[in-house]
Amino acid sequence: MAQGGRGMQPALEWYLVLSAILFVTGLMGVLTRRNVLVIFMSVEMMLNAVNISLIAFGRALNSSTGQIFALFVITVAAAEAAVGLAIVIAVARRQDTVDVGQLGTLRE
Amino acid sequence: MSGADLAFIVFGGLAVLCSVLVVLTRNPMHSALFLVISFVNVAAIYVLLGAEFVAVTQIIVYTGAILVLFLFAVMLVRLDDLPEMYGGHPVQAFVGPVLGFALLLEVLAVIVTTVPLGIASTDFTPDAIAAVGGNTQAVGRALYSDFLVPFEIASLVLLVGAIGAIVLAKPDETPARRREEGDLFTISLGHPLESEIAQPKAGNRRAPVQAILDMERATEKAGETIKEREISTRR
Repeated sequence: MAQGGRGMQPALEWYLVLSAILFVTGLMGVLTRRNVLVIFMSVEMMLNAVNISLIAFGRALNSSTGQIFALFVITVAAAEAAVGLAIVIAVARRQDTVDVGQLGTLRE
Repeated sequence: MSGADLAFIVFGGLAVLCSVLVVLTRNPMHSALFLVISFVNVAAIYVLLGAEFVAVTQIIVYTGAILVLFLFAVMLVRLDDLPEMYGGHPVQAFVGPVLGFALLLEVLAVIVTTVPLGIASTDFTPDAIAAVGGNTQAVGRALYSDFLVPFEIASLVLLVGAIGAIVLAKPDETPARRREEGDLFTISLGHPLESEIAQPKAGNRRAPVQAILDMERATEKAGETIKEREISTRR
């Protein structure tokens, strides 16, 4: 494994590959799963994968912006999870299902 | 192979494995638990990258708060006939992995043929971080100087998220008296406006739909209006 700029660390590319694999795993979850809760979990996984990329680039460029941006992504993910799960619970209470194939509309 | 390389392989491999299991497991409760393990391993990757503060935030926010939300949501919705993966749409099961794999190949091609990065700045080098006392201090200085306005806006986002979640998940609480007066206006998405329909009998979660169907059938047969029937059932 190639060495990065800072001591004995894996190179930037390895972190980007890990990030890409995690992102694509989450994407496949969003595309193939039908349970809306698991789709939400996959979205959170994709946000996590992006965070790895941000922090790895920040380290490679000696910049604090990557870590700050990751913190903002975590903040937005928390707000998104709260609102999204509230919508899921409201819709599941009304329509009695969490299958995205059956959730065609937001009304009755 | 150095210790950092070994740690990267172990934590990264576990994160990928648990992410795949999140997608493949049929029980959403198991998916949530694999998601915890994946998040903890990603936090370890953050530590490897020298982002200790983000790693701790990740553990607190994701495994502490978001996962509890997920577990509550999994337990609040019906678990007996959860939709199975790949059920119904064979096209979905085929196209999804193909598109995902194509995207992975594209990203890997970009990473392999990457151009050199721009000139690295000098304000966040290991020496500079050590000079201010560590990663948390360095991130805090950046957060409260260069990123002050985004930081405040982030707090606003959290406030709006909290209020939105409460408004959306709150059940409809229109008082019965106001409903009889015909004042049915509400912004809550909790459950249907006609509250008798919305309160299912214990042990029969299919009650709402069935109640509506029964009511419509009865209306057709007896020529009785739904409103009258409602009032009679209330008594």
